[in-house]
Amino acid sequence: MIQGCSTFIHVGQIHVDTSPSAISTVLGSCVAVCLYDTALGLGGMNHYLLPFWNGNGLQSPKFGNIAIPKLIEAMLDAGSSINRMEAKIFGGASMNIGASEAMMIGQKNILVAREILREYRIFIVAEDVGGQNGRKIQLNLERGKVQLKYTTRSDIGNGG
Amino acid sequence: MKEIENNEVAFLSRKLLDLNKQLIDSEKAKTRFLSLIANELNNPMTALLGLIPHLASENSEKREKILELAEQEALHLDFHIQNLVAAAEIENGEIKMSYSLIDPEELIDEVLKGLKYWMKEKNIQILIENNLKQKIVTDPQKLHLIIKNLLANACAYGNADSTVKIAINCNGSKLNIDVNNQGEAPKVEFKPQIFTRFAQQAGGSVHGLGIGLSIVRGLCELLEGEIDYDTDGESVTFTVTLPLDTKLPDSEAYGSNEFLFESFNDSIEL
Repeated sequence: MIQGCSTFIHVGQIHVDTSPSAISTVLGSCVAVCLYDTALGLGGMNHYLLPFWNGNGLQSPKFGNIAIPKLIEAMLDAGSSINRMEAKIFGGASMNIGASEAMMIGQKNILVAREILREYRIFIVAEDVGGQNGRKIQLNLERGKVQLKYTTRSDIGNGG
Repeated sequence: MKEIENNEVAFLSRKLLDLNKQLIDSEKAKTRFLSLIANELNNPMTALLGLIPHLASENSEKREKILELAEQEALHLDFHIQNLVAAAEIENGEIKMSYSLIDPEELIDEVLKGLKYWMKEKNIQILIENNLKQKIVTDPQKLHLIIKNLLANACAYGNADSTVKIAINCNGSKLNIDVNNQGEAPKVEFKPQIFTRFAQQAGGSVHGLGIGLSIVRGLCELLEGEIDYDTDGESVTFTVTLPLDTKLPDSEAYGSNEFLFESFNDSIEL
């Protein structure tokens, strides 16, 4: 059970908080990257819909290649450092079986997380990605653990 | 096999070419934006600084005139700053939603107050047709900026001495807000770009920073709505479609309470 408040994030949001709070979200083909700094009890999460910003519209963190560097930056601003951060990644499910396009989005979302984290030399210590189920996750900043539950389709709606 | 490889190379080359072009465009856009910022922020500020000393004037008629001019410049400056702040917040993912129960017509009146000099300058009349006789749940600040951008555009691109029509309609579970102005519409072939940044039509007259409609789209998406436009040759109508919520949930954490109170019993821990 979490002691502090739990912040729910939607697509395109980034949240960084400290122990004993928690950050939660619901994922379909979207991916959330969770970063945690054990020494500071500091952690953050993003939630992105698509792998790459297409050069149009605002550079919002709905896109993995924007959201992940922004999350890392936010962690650094809050006092963490790259070598203390560990990452966990979730989501990237193929929500519509048969629709190859949708399947690819989940896969590409996962791929971009792995690539960018590797580039920054942040280790992925745990992950639960792919598959066909949506996920509810909650990052508990007191312990640095993520609680995960699979969702039924109705929980997700058309969410990420 | 060879053929597949060749296709792949051709595909990647095209992609590379595309990206290169985007990069060049983006460099151009950056340069243009910086010079626009310099003008759009600097001009009102210079005017303000020039006007303020004259406020000491004894002549009350003259003072009133100067106050009016100063307010006009300050409102211009404020609008640009609101847009820049919104764009920065959307791009940073740090935008906070705050929902409350509001009357859209009151909100529009509020927006119009901030745009009174825009309307006066071109003698534009406003006609509001409100077919919604109830309050709605939305984020008033976000909706304010959406409508302000649409109306500011309607004033900037609309014909002088014309009427800007605003219609509020309820369509099933959706709320539509239409902003219609007489005047040249953005070209249809330009539609895919119109809601992106810095997309002002080449050759057309330039107003503002070129980020207004990209902010409108960003904010509409945050409110789980949409923005689109249509034209009949003589006028252009921008339509904002938002979910129609009329009840504020008891919980304060609206939109964020999906499973706060649901336990994570039997969950997997990673």
